[in-house]
Amino acid sequence: MTMLVRVPARVRRAIIAPVAAATFALAPHAAAQDAQTMLDRAAGAARTLSYSGTIVYQRGSDVETARIVHVYDAGEELEKLVNLDGPAREVIRNKGEVRCYYPDARLVRVEPRTFRNAFPSLSPKQLESLAKFYTVKKGGTGRVAGLEAQAWQFVPRDGMRYGHEFWTDPASGMLLKARTLNESGEIVEQFAFSDLSLGVKVDRDAARPTYAVLPQGWQEKQTKIGTGFIEETGWSVTRMPPGFTRIMEGRRRALEKDGGLAQIVLSDGLVAVSVFIEARGGMQRNTGRARQGGINTYSVRQDDYMITALGEAPAEAVRLIAVSVTRR
Amino acid sequence: MNEDISRLMDGELEDDAAFERVVGGMKQSGAMATWTCYHAIGDSLRGECTVSPRVSRRLAVALANEPTVLAPQRRVDRPATWAWAAAATVAAVAVVGWTAVSLTDQDGSTFTLARDAASVRPEALRAQVIPADYLYAHREFSPTTPIQGISPLQRAVATEAPAR
Repeated sequence: MTMLVRVPARVRRAIIAPVAAATFALAPHAAAQDAQTMLDRAAGAARTLSYSGTIVYQRGSDVETARIVHVYDAGEELEKLVNLDGPAREVIRNKGEVRCYYPDARLVRVEPRTFRNAFPSLSPKQLESLAKFYTVKKGGTGRVAGLEAQAWQFVPRDGMRYGHEFWTDPASGMLLKARTLNESGEIVEQFAFSDLSLGVKVDRDAARPTYAVLPQGWQEKQTKIGTGFIEETGWSVTRMPPGFTRIMEGRRRALEKDGGLAQIVLSDGLVAVSVFIEARGGMQRNTGRARQGGINTYSVRQDDYMITALGEAPAEAVRLIAVSVTRR
Repeated sequence: MNEDISRLMDGELEDDAAFERVVGGMKQSGAMATWTCYHAIGDSLRGECTVSPRVSRRLAVALANEPTVLAPQRRVDRPATWAWAAAATVAAVAVVGWTAVSLTDQDGSTFTLARDAASVRPEALRAQVIPADYLYAHREFSPTTPIQGISPLQRAVATEAPAR
């Protein structure tokens, strides 16, 4: 039995049809190279440009907006995000450290510094899998946030991944809009700038926290998850969906639980699925599936462990991964 | 009919004619919501989905196309918990608000379950709290993180206070 879940041709046609006229498919390898260049440029632009804008995030019928200020100054990144709907929230990222402010709860949560600080180029194998499992197309142009944007499509060739559409600013490479589509061509999730000032001089003060000095009565909390260490975990994923390869395996130590949290990350070059293995009684207690926007998770119990697969892949893909995890 | 629904749940209705007959019958009798409800409860009790992927996929499609709503459409506005998360990324910061609709919730009466089941799509049925820490740990390695430098707001900003 094949693990591939076939997307019916008519569904695929339905996804492709609206933009087919303005789209030409590139030769697979050239397309993958082009796609990598596009992805590299987008990652570089988001990191090294200064900008401010408004981001609209949509999932299902929910729409949320936030104001973002990103300063790149003397090789350092400083970023401030303030949501515009609901209770006030503020996120500050400064040299890799992230602090989230919750004024109504009088709480600030501090995330550990991420140890991954560069966009890794895709390995030849990942590039190959990108070309093999997605049809990459350079689409037409259209306006996003007042800018003329170049459209890109990643149409999945099987049911193990979502479809993706990206719009980039041709001049800077900055990603202006990103969309995730399910097998029926429905939008699962979308991020888009509604306005954006790119490459402008943004004052560092604009990215400073509103509560630089914590007011009386606020609590500061560290998150439970600790820094990761690359090492053998003693676990393996025996049935990876086609095109996925293991890109990381390690443990996180800062949990209360003995043995910490094992993590194995699989990627098809465009998205990733993480597998977490944790002694029962840890953070994750519910089994089964859950979804938020473009992220699906699936959790199963195995002896004294809870295994959770989580990633930007369809529910069936994360389920297959989760149930195939075994001890080496 | 109930026997057929039971077979459907157990993934034993693989042939197309039987599938069409049962799903068609359920649509007509309004049993689709009941099935969804059973399925959700069964899932909760067993701790996982036992329906074969093929059947559940086809059912998901059938359900998605299913206009029957036994209760007024309502947004699930009774989150059990709001969790939060933030992710440091190469290009972006993410704050995550997880809508928690735990079906194993203490006050999730059968009635509530049935009502929810009738008004939400199957994929949303098992929405539950996902440890935000997992998401953070994942985002550290996901290629989408730097790619979507567009989306410093990677996931929705939490609209409720986090647990203290």
